[in-house]
Amino acid sequence: MKIDRRSFLTYTTAFVLGGAAGSMLSPAPWKLTDDIAIWTQNWPWTPVPEDGEVTHKKTVCTLCPCGCGIDVRLVGGRPVKIEGSTDHPVNKGSLCPKGFSGLQYLYGPARVTTPLKREGKRGEGKWKKITWDEALTAVSDKLAELRASGRPETVACIADSDQGTIPNLIGRFMTAYGSPNFLCAATAKDAVEQAIYVTQGKQGVPVFDIQNADFILSFGAGVLEGWGGPGRMLNLYGAGKSSKTIVQVEPRLSDTAAKANQWIAINPGTETALALGLANVIINESLYDKNFVENFAFGFDRWTDENGVTRDGFTAAVKGYEPAKVAQITGINQADITALARKFAKAAAPIAINGRGQGLLPGGIDESLAVLMLNALVGNINKKGGISVMPDFDYAKWPEIKIDEVASKGMQQPRVDGAGSEQFPNTRYLLNRLPEALNVAGDGVPIQALLVTDANPLYTMPDTEAAKKAFDRIPFIVSFSPYMDETASFSDYILPNHSYLERLQDVPSAAGISRQVISLSTPVVKPVYETRHIGDAFIMIAQNLGGFIKNAFPWKDYETFLKDALKEHWRNLKRKGLVELSHNPPEPLTYLFNTASGKFEFYPTAQTNGTDQPAALPAYAPVPIEGDMQRFDLVLTPYDTIRLAGGNLASAPFMTKTVDDTVLKKETSFVEINPTTARGLNLKEGATARLTTPKGEATVKVHLYDGIMPGIIAMPRGLGHTAYSVYLADKGTNVNTLIGSIADPASGLDMAWGIRAQLTRI
Amino acid sequence: MKEKNSHSNAKRYGMVIDLDKCTGCGACMVACYSENNVPFKTDETNKLDSINWIRVFKLTNNKPYPDTEVCYLPMPCMQCDGVGKHGHSPCVSVCPAVATDYDYSTGIVSQIYTRCFGCRYCMAACPYHARKFNWWDPAWPADTKKYLSPNVSPRMRGVVEKCSFCFHRYQQARDKAYLEKRAELEEHEYQTACAQACPVNAITFGDLNNKDHAVYKLKSSPTAFRLLERLQTNPKVYYLTSKSWVRRAGDNYLAHEEPENMKTTVKEHH
Amino acid sequence: MNETPLIPPGVKRCSKWQFSLWMAAVTAVLLWGVYAMFLCWFKGLNQTNMNDAYGFALWIWADLAVIALGGGAFFSGFLTYIVGKDDLKNIINFAVIIGFICYSSALLILAIDIGQPLRGWFIFWHANVHSMLTEVAFCLSCYFAVLTIEFIPLILENPRLDKKPFLHHLSHNMHGIMAVFAATGVFLSFFHQGSLGGVAGVLFGRPFAYREHIFIWPFTFFLFTWSAAAYGPCFTILVTKITEKITGKKLVKDNVIHLLAKISGWMIITYIIAKTADTIYWAVVTAPNAGFTLMDFYASPTYNIGILFAEIVLCGFIPGLILITKRGRENPLLLTTAIILAVIGVSLNRWVMVLQVMAVPVFSFNNWYTYLPSWQEVATTVLPVAYGLIVISLAYRYLPVFPQEKELNPID
Ligand SMILES: Nc1nc2c(c(=O)[nH]1)N[C@H]1C(S)=C(S)[C@@H](COP(=O)(O)OP(=O)(O)OC[C@H]3O[C@@H](n4cnc5c(=O)[nH]c(N)nc54)[C@H](O)[C@@H]3O)O[C@H]1N2
Ligand SMILES: Nc1nc2c(c(=O)[nH]1)N[C@H]1C(S)=C(S)[C@@H](COP(=O)(O)OP(=O)(O)OC[C@H]3O[C@@H](n4cnc5c(=O)[nH]c(N)nc54)[C@H](O)[C@@H]3O)O[C@H]1N2
Ligand code: SF4
Ligand code: SF4
Ligand code: SF4
Ligand code: SF4
Ligand code: SF4
Ligand SMILES: [Mo]
Repeated sequence: MKIDRRSFLTYTTAFVLGGAAGSMLSPAPWKLTDDIAIWTQNWPWTPVPEDGEVTHKKTVCTLCPCGCGIDVRLVGGRPVKIEGSTDHPVNKGSLCPKGFSGLQYLYGPARVTTPLKREGKRGEGKWKKITWDEALTAVSDKLAELRASGRPETVACIADSDQGTIPNLIGRFMTAYGSPNFLCAATAKDAVEQAIYVTQGKQGVPVFDIQNADFILSFGAGVLEGWGGPGRMLNLYGAGKSSKTIVQVEPRLSDTAAKANQWIAINPGTETALALGLANVIINESLYDKNFVENFAFGFDRWTDENGVTRDGFTAAVKGYEPAKVAQITGINQADITALARKFAKAAAPIAINGRGQGLLPGGIDESLAVLMLNALVGNINKKGGISVMPDFDYAKWPEIKIDEVASKGMQQPRVDGAGSEQFPNTRYLLNRLPEALNVAGDGVPIQALLVTDANPLYTMPDTEAAKKAFDRIPFIVSFSPYMDETASFSDYILPNHSYLERLQDVPSAAGISRQVISLSTPVVKPVYETRHIGDAFIMIAQNLGGFIKNAFPWKDYETFLKDALKEHWRNLKRKGLVELSHNPPEPLTYLFNTASGKFEFYPTAQTNGTDQPAALPAYAPVPIEGDMQRFDLVLTPYDTIRLAGGNLASAPFMTKTVDDTVLKKETSFVEINPTTARGLNLKEGATARLTTPKGEATVKVHLYDGIMPGIIAMPRGLGHTAYSVYLADKGTNVNTLIGSIADPASGLDMAWGIRAQLTRI
Repeated sequence: MKEKNSHSNAKRYGMVIDLDKCTGCGACMVACYSENNVPFKTDETNKLDSINWIRVFKLTNNKPYPDTEVCYLPMPCMQCDGVGKHGHSPCVSVCPAVATDYDYSTGIVSQIYTRCFGCRYCMAACPYHARKFNWWDPAWPADTKKYLSPNVSPRMRGVVEKCSFCFHRYQQARDKAYLEKRAELEEHEYQTACAQACPVNAITFGDLNNKDHAVYKLKSSPTAFRLLERLQTNPKVYYLTSKSWVRRAGDNYLAHEEPENMKTTVKEHH
Repeated sequence: MNETPLIPPGVKRCSKWQFSLWMAAVTAVLLWGVYAMFLCWFKGLNQTNMNDAYGFALWIWADLAVIALGGGAFFSGFLTYIVGKDDLKNIINFAVIIGFICYSSALLILAIDIGQPLRGWFIFWHANVHSMLTEVAFCLSCYFAVLTIEFIPLILENPRLDKKPFLHHLSHNMHGIMAVFAATGVFLSFFHQGSLGGVAGVLFGRPFAYREHIFIWPFTFFLFTWSAAAYGPCFTILVTKITEKITGKKLVKDNVIHLLAKISGWMIITYIIAKTADTIYWAVVTAPNAGFTLMDFYASPTYNIGILFAEIVLCGFIPGLILITKRGRENPLLLTTAIILAVIGVSLNRWVMVLQVMAVPVFSFNNWYTYLPSWQEVATTVLPVAYGLIVISLAYRYLPVFPQEKELNPID
């Protein structure tokens, strides 16, 4: 039959339709549908974590100085989870969010995976991968050259801490090399240490025995926000919640204030006045510890010096601070002040502490002195639940070090930061004064090479931009950071350290713990990348330099050195993971003080070297605030939050993820502001504003918060990184870039608590 | 969802969170991310597309300075029993594909990622916003894949996920007990990652039906309450607070109503 | 040999060129929607502005709305074949086409809305019989099949197809048993329209949506079915009127329209009275039991009490009253106003039952949730409209949709 176009179409249509209908009766389409669904359940790009044998490795977290014991769960040798070791004396199982994020410090886009040499301009981010030999040679050659020119003191090192054998090994290197310029960021600890030194003549790590105290009077110390080490303090809080009373004195309702039994809102910067006011009440109502004051203290009342001059005592110093006046200064009502003084003095085991927030900034000596003397008034020195001094760790035994001419000449040069000088005899480090020192006219820059170990000053230093400019005058900067942090990204060479889970190191217990504990942090995994232990790196550099320097490091690597240095402790450390050196506070009544008077000096003669300049007795002077009041009508203060890392080591992605949307929104930070203040500036919740301070400006959003004092605005530390990775960089504002540093006349330590600021709606 | 509750020793695992203790540190959130392979994005500041199986809210009493008070409120999945015979959780009852179900032997509300087809009806049903949708395909940059746990399967784009009370930990404990020929689990043998992580021990976890477990007594302490009880969701997460403004914030009340002297209309199941 | 024309005999249609131009325009819009649809399928639902608080949004509203509007099909079917209102035969074809469009659109939107489209069939295979959505999915698909069957004979009436003896007889016989399908359709519709009401009504975690006791079952179900039956026909009339405007022809006799409008009017009045009762019990008993006052639910600038007034009075009682009064429905202006208000009213009700449910904060410390659809959501929602226009245009051009057209528009 003849098939015309139309019937052809008809037949094909019929055929197609019939075919379709037919195939629906076959299993094919149904099977296909099922297979497609199964495919969506096994997308090749959805990871399937490998299974394996489950094992546990105990070690110590060194992401911060707290040094918590951690228990790492591994599956087939892969670490998959970090938990707290319940049997570790520091944290007894507690960890902070940073510690739980630990695996993101092992893996992740922020790691520096091989040694790097800068291409392009500083901070431009152009790098060339180099071998370890090339890297070590480059650094050794530069150091050799400077030494040859006879100026070893022009090499400086910035470390994150001076505790433990790694910083000590680096310190030893600096000595052998011939530079006094080993710098360390000062924290509130340093101020407390100095206060203790001038009143008791003892050098050492202060211990606040929070554990055995039952009444904690905190002058702004963020005991739940990192102060004294988060893992330890959170654990103590959890355990002691019902048995301890916490009184928190600060102008902002911090997490600590929120959890305290009483929050006392105080005008910022007037803590010293309150401490002296409380002392005033305690003395007037003679609630103080007579025994201690009469038998073991000096300079409480008027006294006569060797030249027969009669001098004021502590009683005179506090006379001016009667409650009515203190109420005016601090904004706290008079009755509360008196009541607080009585409660404090009458408590069974009271303790007064200070150090704003985490204690990241030292604060003035007078504040720490006043608080320490408050403790002394109630006889709270060297006893259970009180303040004592832990002798500097001496567990590591070092062979005598011999140095050559060049070195000893270098070591006699003054420190670039002026610490230990005539002006600041009792201060160990003044990193905050480094930028100023670098900004000398001409090219006679006092520092020709800078080694940065485990620190990140170009993020943490106040007035960060200025610091950066100053650092840029240093011809040669080397970072040993495992992470591409701000300082590393601004350096010329990066010799990446292992991350903490790949690294062997001893961990002396951080400030605050009332027992001397050394733990051993042992590698949980083999190094994932081309990194080297910072100790090995320094030993190799020393060996490249040869001569006396080489001889000062007779070890093939850090591990052999550690074995050698820890002697008898090594075996226990390897076996038990930690050893406890005894630190029993002396029995009361057997106080031993190392002062001129042999007593606790309410009148710290050491601080004055015989003169009254500067006044030795603590006194309240308003802490100056930078900025002109007319232009800047607000005051900006940084605050610490446990959910962010405010220090050198930045937050992991997991930490940033926990941050509320009233703290960070997309790339913009919030400032906390009191609703009344906000109304005055016509700012609503979430409004965008320009924040200006004498140091810089930033675009921010405002969060209306009743818990902050009118006129004050607050911003968290730990945001506004410019380096690391896309999970952290360019998120919010680094508050350090907006604030400055104010040197305490007595100590040179940074005592700035805030800076004047202005908020304008945009 | 048919009643399989024949064997008597059925468990009702639950939590009691002490709000007087909680410091808002966020360790529970991070521990949960790490335990359960929760993904992370470059921007997590939109809390409405940020996957958290437990979220810690910050509440204030809205009083002016300096009478302001703050309370932190951690919220995992409440593992709702629902009204009537339990198993009638808001979410389970609506899921058209049984991708989320109520386990009668533990009282835990499951979530089966490979069954879920992403209709999000369960999210509409959950008043606690405990359910999170995978709007994106999770990504694990720069070797972070290597730390993923094999005990919790990573999710794919287009499905819902939520707190499981760390069910895998229950399975492991149960398997261990089984090998040791034990029928019952010790209280400590099954603890959730967040309860274990809380550095101040604000979270207590256990079997609400078991007189020997700490939660049994805690849940009936005078300061105990549950969130949105009046909706008859019958949650298995309890809270403790000494502050009445906090208790008030935990549910909805008419002006004249006083949380403390209101009887909850929800019957307990034992 | 001279070819049987595609266009039904005795009616006039616009030129090929006009027609193609119009089709081209509509197709452009359609393609925009298709593009957005593929974006959602390949990149995932991050293409939308939905979030964890707004898991149900524009699309679910569109689904509920089109199903309500498509209700004209089953209800006219019910009236025509079961109640035996023969006059309505003159509009039933069109009602069926509109229903077909609405239901196919609903299914398409659902397929875009789910996060794992390739697993969509789990809803049938792993069905949870307690879930409203399961019930909806089943009835929706079945009723769509029914509508297809109801549509086929009309398609077969195209002159060129009708010439094939087989197809001619097929269509003839199908007409014969159409009442059976209509009945099935009505039966199915009562179910899924009802369960759609249940979708929000059973959410006891959502005080704004939740209804208690008889107000959840059978009331919510009843309300949704009733409202679809009530407002659906208004949509049928509206689309007919629009078609008449565009084609510039009268296509359906007034008595037919007025009959449908009158029934619809009475349905609306009865519905809105029931709805008012439901609202009162909810406001006075259900909500307060959960600690909410009525005004708590209307405390946002977007969702203020005006919405409730608009839904019940402005777009409920008013159109209802117009349509039940003879003078009202027979006055063209008032009739148009009434059907437009009615269509808005039912859409508003579905909007409120989806989007306001999500917007209301359940915790005293949370704020109202806000949501604005992304362009991808808008485009995929416009897609069905374009698709509908295309189907209607083709149907009108090539099929004898309106039995009265010839008589009303004689061509000499
Ligand atoms: N303005 C301001 N000044 C500050 C601070 C601040 O936050 N603001 N922080 C102050 C504080 S609290 C201190 S203690 C000091 C020192 O700061 P710390 O907080 O004690 O130093 P870490 O946080 O340990 O950072 C160590 C640096 O070494 C590298 N690193 C690599 N691996 C590890 C590791 O496993 N652990 C550690 N810890 N570091 C590693 C990283 O580059 C990191 O930047 O800085 C102080 N200076
Ligand atoms: N989530 C989170 N965790 C963190 C950080 C973070 O930013 N976020 N930062 C990490 C960093 S960088 C640090 S430095 C730590 C914070 O703690 P660190 O700075 O590492 O340690 P300290 O400087 O001793 O503690 C800060 C201050 O606490 C006070 N303090 C408490 N107890 C004692 C004591 O017994 N003696 C003395 N002398 N002082 C005591 C002192 O004023 C001390 O200066 O937290 C670490 N952990
Ligand atoms: S407190 Fe410090 S040491 Fe302890 S877990 Fe947190 S970061 Fe690690
Ligand atoms: S870990 Fe504990 S204290 Fe920290 S937020 Fe969670 S519940 Fe609160
Ligand atoms: S909290 Fe939400 S998700 Fe969890 S059981 Fe209840 S309703 Fe379901
Ligand atoms: S989203 Fe998944 S779990 Fe939730 S209802 Fe739909 S299918 Fe069930
Ligand atoms: S119970 Fe497990 S899953 Fe649930 S929030 Fe806690 S840690 Fe996460
Ligand atoms: Mo630090």
